[in-house]
This record gives sequence, structure tokens and C-alpha cells, in this order.
Amino acid sequence: MNLSYSDEQNMLREQVLKFCESDYTFDVREKIVESNYGHNPETWKQFADLGWLAVPFSEENGGFNFGPIELAVIFEEFGKALVAEPYLANVVMSGSVLESSSNDLAKQTITRIIDGTVQVSVAFSEANNGYKFHDIETSVDDGKLNGVKTVVLNASFANSFLVYARNNGNPVIYLVDAKAAGVSVNSFSTVDGQNCGDVTFENVDVDESLIISNENDATQTINVMLDLANLCLCAEAVGGMTASYLKTVQYTKEREQFGQPISNFQVLQHRMVDMFIEAEVSKSLLFKAMLQLDGKDDEASKTISGLKAQIGKSSRQVGQTAVQLHGGMGVSDEMSIGHYLKRFTVIDALFGNRNYHLNNFSNL
Amino acid sequence: MDINFSDADNHFRQEVKDYLENKYPKHVKEKQNNGEQLTKQDMIDYHKSLYEQGWAGYNWPVEYGGTGWSPTQIYIFQEELGYANTPTILPFGLNMVGPVIYTFGNEEQKKRFLPDILEFNTWWCQGYSEPGSGSDLASLKTKAVRDGDHYIVNGSKTWTTLAQNADWIFCLVRTETTQKKQEGISFLLIDMKTEGIEVKPIITIDGDHEVNSVFFTDVKVPVENLIGEEGKGWTYAKFLLAHERFGIAGVPNQKYSLKLLKDRTKDFADDDLKKKIADYEIELSALEFTELRTLAALANGGHPGAESSIIKIKGTELQQRLTEMYVEAAGQYILPYEGPEGFNSNNTPASNVSDFSSQAVSRYLNFRKTSIYGGSNEIQKNIIAKAILGV
Repeated sequence: MNLSYSDEQNMLREQVLKFCESDYTFDVREKIVESNYGHNPETWKQFADLGWLAVPFSEENGGFNFGPIELAVIFEEFGKALVAEPYLANVVMSGSVLESSSNDLAKQTITRIIDGTVQVSVAFSEANNGYKFHDIETSVDDGKLNGVKTVVLNASFANSFLVYARNNGNPVIYLVDAKAAGVSVNSFSTVDGQNCGDVTFENVDVDESLIISNENDATQTINVMLDLANLCLCAEAVGGMTASYLKTVQYTKEREQFGQPISNFQVLQHRMVDMFIEAEVSKSLLFKAMLQLDGKDDEASKTISGLKAQIGKSSRQVGQTAVQLHGGMGVSDEMSIGHYLKRFTVIDALFGNRNYHLNNFSNL
Repeated sequence: MDINFSDADNHFRQEVKDYLENKYPKHVKEKQNNGEQLTKQDMIDYHKSLYEQGWAGYNWPVEYGGTGWSPTQIYIFQEELGYANTPTILPFGLNMVGPVIYTFGNEEQKKRFLPDILEFNTWWCQGYSEPGSGSDLASLKTKAVRDGDHYIVNGSKTWTTLAQNADWIFCLVRTETTQKKQEGISFLLIDMKTEGIEVKPIITIDGDHEVNSVFFTDVKVPVENLIGEEGKGWTYAKFLLAHERFGIAGVPNQKYSLKLLKDRTKDFADDDLKKKIADYEIELSALEFTELRTLAALANGGHPGAESSIIKIKGTELQQRLTEMYVEAAGQYILPYEGPEGFNSNNTPASNVSDFSSQAVSRYLNFRKTSIYGGSNEIQKNIIAKAILGV
């Protein structure tokens, strides 16, 4: 067993950290969030130039063939800086689905994701199906796709959608152009400054050439994607928790009340220690999950469910305590600290919240 | 002791229901029940309807135009209002500065200010916290220097709720720099239209504009606007805070929200959510009876003291827990979020829990403030430790 990052992984972390510190300060982030749903084409171009959009793809597809550990490294740093760019939707989720496909269309699409010229979102979730992601009504009959997908991440910027549907009752994933006749997008900003949307498909023409994943493996493809997406979200939360406790310690050292820094008060010290402990145990479970996923361990899915459940609890506690210890400043939108809480709330809500994953864990 | 309501109480309850049925403004009711934001005028209309009913001073003594109701009546009144999902009665005039004025103000001040508070002709806001004085409120620095018939006020206040709507602000100001910081504080009423006052919005993490910074530059305030004695403001401030903490738990609103949560989740709530709701409901009953015990003590001539800190702590913790359960129940559908005003009708997400979800996350974020304001819960624990446990 070896629990140390490789030199290559450390360099990747260093690179992301440097980028965030110089080019993605909180002020810059806020401008992007306020003006353009969390996405800045110039930042995305930088990601492409730095090679980050190629990270998880196979060499055969023009990628670096990096795995869950490298993705976790990137997301931990993204979490610290509250990066809002649609990396999860494009590179991780669509990437995971496309990478598993043998269709040439998938390979062509990957090339264009890597060079940053195309964005793709997986449209799988539906209204009121809760977290039962395979319980879908979107269907294809006689070559016509019909249905409504909801909470589609980055729907505003997606050039195409990977649509999870049923064809004669069998699960299939199609790649559908966002501009195809019959596709309409209703976009929303999300509570954490990104965007998502409802995507409606009304008699959209689809044929076999658009099938990315067929009945033999579409369900499995979605499950694999969800595991990887959840791992990345948890890594992001770990980064956010680390930033939250560090910023809180800093703030309480600077904030004076009763003639002294409030960090002198033992009650607050212990609460910050609790934040630190939650961040550390979460990171430990992240290690277990990313190593198991990397090693294709049979237990990996269960561990990821456990991790997501743990993160739901820990990040809520850390996020809420951080706000509380910042006092009024904590609920002010101009401070970064409340934005971590918002992101933690969204992270828990995505792809199965704590309650869902506790159940999942006990059933697996 | 008797847990049952008397016939007179039941009759009174019917009166409240009649008001809610017939006189509670319809446009306010509609917006409230659709979860829409109320305008300033809506709030004024609502408060005026209470005044016309003779109920604005629901917890005021009769001699100042109040109802003189018993604690049981106040309880029934608040419970029915809560069940009807009426807007929160704005506390700044009726529960904060009003009681300070009728307890510590002079006759002229009572005549001048109390009727307008009851009739809701004046919208008040609270000038307590400052950028450098939150938990350590007594360290406040906003200065009032006597100059003939006026005080000249300089400084700034923060987290001032709805200052953008306010006609008047009651302020804690420093009239003297003393050894003991509590001693140089005075309680001043200031007309918001006075030259030199500037209100700047603070946007909170739910995207709402509820609180503000208020800046005072050479603001001239007539000396007759001083409440009580110069330098005794801290006594009045503490009196007010104990009253403020009292209503902060919002038990009736919580009961309404609980009912709504149960209704909205009954088709999909699993055992985990049901147990969480049950756990919350049990604690809410405990809080309610803690409040009732305190009210009973008050009716026997007591003053709200450190006990109100228990209610503040438990009440805000439970409010926050309730908002967490809403978020949990809404799941992934909390993501689409168009701010506290919600979605416009042409642009509503495909999930039929969307309104519920959007409000769920808005309230969750907004309610983080409750354990911070009115004296943070950490400060409340210090008060209990000192005043009740004697440690």
C-alpha cells in the first residue's frame, strides 16, 4: 500500500492551485457567475490549453489516460477555489459516457471536447423520479425521441446532449444535437451560481448512428458515470471543507470582540477543531474511494456511496459552522464563505443525497 | 394547572378565525400562499388590517392602546395566525421600540410615537450592530455629541433589516467614552429622512435584499428624541433584546411549515424522513411548552430574562432543522434557482416540486442568520451560564 501522491499527481495539483490563485480569484469567479451562468469561454480555453480537458480520456482518443485519482486532485483544488466551470458535466460525465462507446461519433465528440470547441451534457434525470435514475419515461418510438429531462447540468452551453431513453423498453443513450428540430432548452441559474435546465425532446428524429450506448450496457454506463461524478463531487467538497476551516481560522484571528481576537474563545476553538476533523476524515474516505475506483475494486461503488453519505454530513457541518463563526459576514453574499455552504448543499443534492446513499450503502 | 381551553378561549379563537376569513387582506393572503414576495405596501396593508381590528398591540397593555390579552389569548392569536400562514408581524415597532417607549419614554414621546406604531404609520428599523460591534454590542462606536438642542450623530450601523423601507430608526449611540463601555450608551430615535443618512443594501447568500448598512454623517437629532436618561441606553437595550428573543422562535410559523412539509412529502417520504420529522415535531412541542411556561411566569408579574435565551437557542435551531428537512425532501430539484422571488410562470422547471424546492433552499440559506442575529446562540449560552447556572 502507498498513500502518497506521485510526482506527476503533485505537479498536476500544483498547476491547478497556481491557476486558481492567479487567474481564478473569488472576485473573478463572482464576475463570471454574475454575468454568464458560471462559464467563461476564456477560462475554458485556458483549461483546454493546459490540457485539463484531456485528463480522463484514453490516449487512443487523444487524452492523458488519467484516472479517478488525478480527477480527485483537480476537483479538490477546484473545490477550494469554488470553480464554477462546467468541467464535471463535460469532461467527467459526458467524458465517461463517450469514452465507453465504440461509436466513431463518440470519438469525434471527445476530440472536440478536448480542444474545448464543443460542450456536451448528459440528460438523464427526469421530473419527480427522485434519485431513481433508471426510472425514465423518455422514449424512442419509430425513430422519434420524446420526453423531458430535468436538472441537466450546464444545459445552457451544451451543444449536444447524451440522452438516456428507452427504445422499445430497452435503455439506450443517444447523442442529440441541441439544435436538432424538436429540442428545446429551458435554462436556470443554479443556487450555487452555475446553470442547469430542462431539456424537452419533441418528436426528435434519431437513428442508430446516434446510439452511443445500447441496451447491453447503457444502464451500466450511467452507473459508472454516476460513481465517477460522485467521487469528483466529494473531492470538490473535501477541498471546500479545507478552504472553509482555513478561512474561518483566519477570520477569527482577525475579528476582535470583547477586546481580543474571537479565536481566543475556547468554544470557537473547539468548533474549528471539529471542522478540521470532519475535513480530515472525509479526505481519508476519499482516499479509500478513489483508490478502490482506480483499482476497479468490486467494493468501489459501495465505498463511494459511503463517501457521499459522509460528505453530506461533514460538509453541512463544516459549511454551517463556517458561516456561524463569520457571524453576519457569513451570510453576506460578498464573502466567499457562504458560497462554500451553497456548493456543499448542491453537492449533497446531486446524484443521491446523504439519505439516499445511506440506504444504498446498507443495501449493497 | 389545566391544559384545556375555556369556553371564552374557544370563543376568542373563533374571533381570530373570523378575522382571518373576512378581514385579512385577500391580496396578501394570495401572495403568501403562493410563496410570492410581499411588497412594502402589502406589509403595510396587513399591519393596518390588524390595527383596524384593534389587535396591532396584541401584547401591549390597554393603557397604551394594546389589547391587554392574557398569555393564553396571545398564544391562541399567534397560533391561528401561524396556521393561516400570515406574514410575520414586523417586530421593530410593535415588539421592540414600542415597549421601550411605553416603559422608559416620557409622556410626550408616548403620545408622539405610540399611536403611529400601532397604526403602522411609521416603519421602524433597528440600529444596534455595527461593523466592529456584533456579539460585543456594548463596544459600539457610533457617536452622538450634544450641540445645543441637538445631538450630532456620526458612525454606521449594519445588518439593519428592511432599513430601505423604514421611516424611523432606533439607535444605540455612544454619548460618552467611559471606563465601563456599557455606561456611555444612549438610546436615540432618528428620523430616516434626516440629512446625512445613507442606506446601502447588503445582499445575503439567498440572493435577497433584506439587510442594509446605514451610515450617519453629521446627522442632527433633536434632544427630545432621547429615550430615558443619557448614558442609560444599555439598560433599555437589554430590555428590548429580551423581548426580541422572545418572539424569535416563531413556533406558530414552524407549526405551519411542519404541516406543509408533511403534506408535500406524504407521497414520497421514506421512514428516514418520517423519523426526522417526528423527532423535530417532538422538540417543537417541548419548545412550545417552554414558551408557555415562560409566558405563564410573565403573567404572574415576571420579566423575560435569561429564560428567553433558551427559547432563542432552541427556536432557531429547530427553525434551521426544519429548513434542512425541506432541502432534503426536495433533493436534486433545489438546483434551479431564480432567487428569492422564485420563478416566473412561463419559466418553471419541469419538476412539480419546483416551487417547493426553490423556496426550500432559499429558506435554508436565509435561516442561517437566525443563530447569528438577536445575539448569536453562543452569546445566549454565555447568558444562561452566567445568569442561570451562575458560573
